Amino acid sequence: MTDTNTELKVTAASDIEVDRETLDASIKSFVGPSGDYYVNAFHRIHDNTSLLPKTFNLWAAVLGPLWAASRAIWGMFWAFLILEIIAWVQIGRGLWGTPGSEFLERAAQQAELMQKRLDQAAAATEQADIDRFNKLADNMQRAIDTNMERVEQAQAEALGIMVTGIILLLVLKAVQGFYANTVYEKQYSRWRIDPDSTESGRSVRNAVMGVVLTAAIGPLIIYRFTVNASMELLEAFPERQVSELVLGPDNGTLFGAVASWMEARIDAAATAGGDVFDGIVAGVRAVLDALTVALNGSPWPVVMLVIAVTAWRAAGPRVAIFTVAAMAYTALLGYWALAMETVALVGAAVILCVVIGIPLGIWFGKSRRAYRMAEPVLDLMQTLPAFVYLIPIIAFFGTGNPPGILATIIFGMPPVIRLTALGMRGVPESIKEAAVAFGASKWQLLKDVEIPLALPSIMTGVNQTILMCLSMVVIISLIGGGGLGQEILEALQFAAKGPGLLGGFAILFLAMVMDRIVQGAFRREDQKN
Amino acid sequence: MGETVVKLENVWKIFGAQAPQAMEAVLKDGLTKPQVLEKFGCVVGVQDASFEVARGEIFCIMGLSGSGKSTLVRHVNRLIEPTAGKIEIMGQDVSAISDNELRRIRAQQIGMVFQHMALMPHRSVRDNVAYPLEIRKVPKSKRWAVSDHALGLVDLTGYEDRLPKELSGGMQQRVGIARALASDPEILLMDEPFSALDPLIRLQLQDQFKALVAQLKKTTLFITHDLDEAIRIGHRIAIMKDGVIVQIGTPEDIVMNPADDYVREFVQGISKLKLVKAHSIMEPLDSFSGSLDGAPRADHGADLDQLIDLAVATEHPVVITEDGADLGVVTKPRLLRGIQGGKDD
Repeated sequence: MTDTNTELKVTAASDIEVDRETLDASIKSFVGPSGDYYVNAFHRIHDNTSLLPKTFNLWAAVLGPLWAASRAIWGMFWAFLILEIIAWVQIGRGLWGTPGSEFLERAAQQAELMQKRLDQAAAATEQADIDRFNKLADNMQRAIDTNMERVEQAQAEALGIMVTGIILLLVLKAVQGFYANTVYEKQYSRWRIDPDSTESGRSVRNAVMGVVLTAAIGPLIIYRFTVNASMELLEAFPERQVSELVLGPDNGTLFGAVASWMEARIDAAATAGGDVFDGIVAGVRAVLDALTVALNGSPWPVVMLVIAVTAWRAAGPRVAIFTVAAMAYTALLGYWALAMETVALVGAAVILCVVIGIPLGIWFGKSRRAYRMAEPVLDLMQTLPAFVYLIPIIAFFGTGNPPGILATIIFGMPPVIRLTALGMRGVPESIKEAAVAFGASKWQLLKDVEIPLALPSIMTGVNQTILMCLSMVVIISLIGGGGLGQEILEALQFAAKGPGLLGGFAILFLAMVMDRIVQGAFRREDQKN
Repeated sequence: MGETVVKLENVWKIFGAQAPQAMEAVLKDGLTKPQVLEKFGCVVGVQDASFEVARGEIFCIMGLSGSGKSTLVRHVNRLIEPTAGKIEIMGQDVSAISDNELRRIRAQQIGMVFQHMALMPHRSVRDNVAYPLEIRKVPKSKRWAVSDHALGLVDLTGYEDRLPKELSGGMQQRVGIARALASDPEILLMDEPFSALDPLIRLQLQDQFKALVAQLKKTTLFITHDLDEAIRIGHRIAIMKDGVIVQIGTPEDIVMNPADDYVREFVQGISKLKLVKAHSIMEPLDSFSGSLDGAPRADHGADLDQLIDLAVATEHPVVITEDGADLGVVTKPRLLRGIQGGKDD
């Protein structure tokens, strides 16, 4: 505080001299070879106040992407490699491409045909026939002329294409020349912040890598796009030849071999674990049956009344009115039983998601390692298109409503797991520490602190899970899931617009009612806290 | 000093995966902190800390952030396990007890107050204060009564049913104090309780807290990074630097005889008015040649502040007494020097 051994001189900002020496040394250690040039260039960039660059890097202009590669500016390398290849393709097409070749071919065919007609005319004996053939030949001649014109046009265009290519190339070179140092200076700034993971200097390895990449990509692309008769090998991947090479001739393809192997495996697994899978299905069915009995077994006026009152209590009068209207729509159009089946399906899926997902989320929230292991699985569950896992589900669990619920769970469970884990990790350490300091056991800590504080996040997760489950309603009808989804699927199969739309609206109303009620309930809960 | 309530003996805390090996190396070869970091990748949080706190004493631990004071105090209720050393609470070795026993001690014997209050946002003020009792499964009626009483101690009657977020920062921290007092613990651990509050509120709370603790006779470990606060509140102060306790002493001790330059630097800006007592600046009676008739009298324990009040009302020097007998004299020049910090003429 009272240390006076470091004397501080106060200077006006305009009087402060730029300390070139340390800066120069730092630039040089970053740049490596030709340090003086870049020191100079960077100073110009630093002194520059306008937007236009004030330096020109000749080597960057001449070598293009290779310069960028040798300096490890990979973004610039890739961008200009692609752009330069485009320019080279244009030049190539102009130089040795065969523009208008398809017209030339057509003209040749037509010339042949014309010759045939002329021969026929010569061979004919009756005047009418001669006239007819000659006329046909004339027509051919005219078609040939237009095609030849087109060929000429294309050849004229070829020159234009080449010129465009050359201009593009020159512009690219100029841009690289002018902006190379600016880009390099940006890399220098990054290097100053993070010298360990930012490459610096010029290395042979990078230069070689640049040359190899350019040599591998450039010529093939230019060849493919300039020469019309390209190699068959480059057109499509030679998977048949590879299959033959691996399996021997006449033994089918790799695809066939792997597919049948997998089929056998899956069948074996399904038989081996039959009891387990049946048990799972039975469990899911029990939940579903309970809900179905409650929703479809109870007299409809009771169910309607309960739903309307729930909407009122949970989300207020406006949602209640909307709910009643939606129920009237479904009931009047004869969708009531189907709609309740759908609610039962979604409800069972959501209940299972929550019952399994929240404990998992709590575990993942507490154990970082478990979460790291689970995260790829969760990602997979969400990113896999549903159609992909419908097949193993059929294989293991058969078809019908319970397998449909299982498919729904796969898609719907990740949000509740993720958001529970997120909520658990968001609980302030200080509050947890306080609870522990007052003697709370692990269970008390969880029950009194962590879950209550994570609850808003958990509820968001549950809400998202509900919506995800709803979105699966139509898809699971593909594997025999019932309810409104089946209605839509049938309408889709017969392109029945009317029934399809009516059913679609029924699902829409269902989704909106569920979402409104749940959100309303959660909002109330939130306001209490 | 009375009975020892908290006792730390050669407590070490080393953070890192290889802490036990590092500890062994430190004890055997006497590695320094940078060496430990380099060789084992371990950070020494607390280095060989020993102290005792007597019943009813307020023991301040002062140090800058990162000096290990929070780490040190968390050893007392074993929120942090020591790497080496012994911790005793009322004669019981805490590192030897079972988890259940530890939880019982935490809930009954030790109250803790945190810098960021750490109140549970979803519980009312009353339920927050009652939480330590709830953990011990005290019935609700009893819990609420105790909690209301504790809130009364910190002048928060009438706020029982509010949520913490409805209260100001100072009030929230009073809730934190009430929570720490609710289970009537023997020991209070105060982890920078007033640091996050604005200065005026801080002063008020310091005074309130000091009075409260004196009245309730709680043994207190009080962490702060503010020496003024330590001096205002503490009976004794331990100054920590980089995990080492540099000096332990009464506020007067520390201000008058700092152990090293580090402490000296801290002490420099401290006002001596309330710290320096008359006996430490008085001169012998016979050194004053003039008449002492009508001179005001003060006890030898009076501080500079009181002496100034006496001195400004008269032209005479102040006579210092002990048990009614004249002991010495403080002249005005002497008094002024005393305010400066005991500089010699």
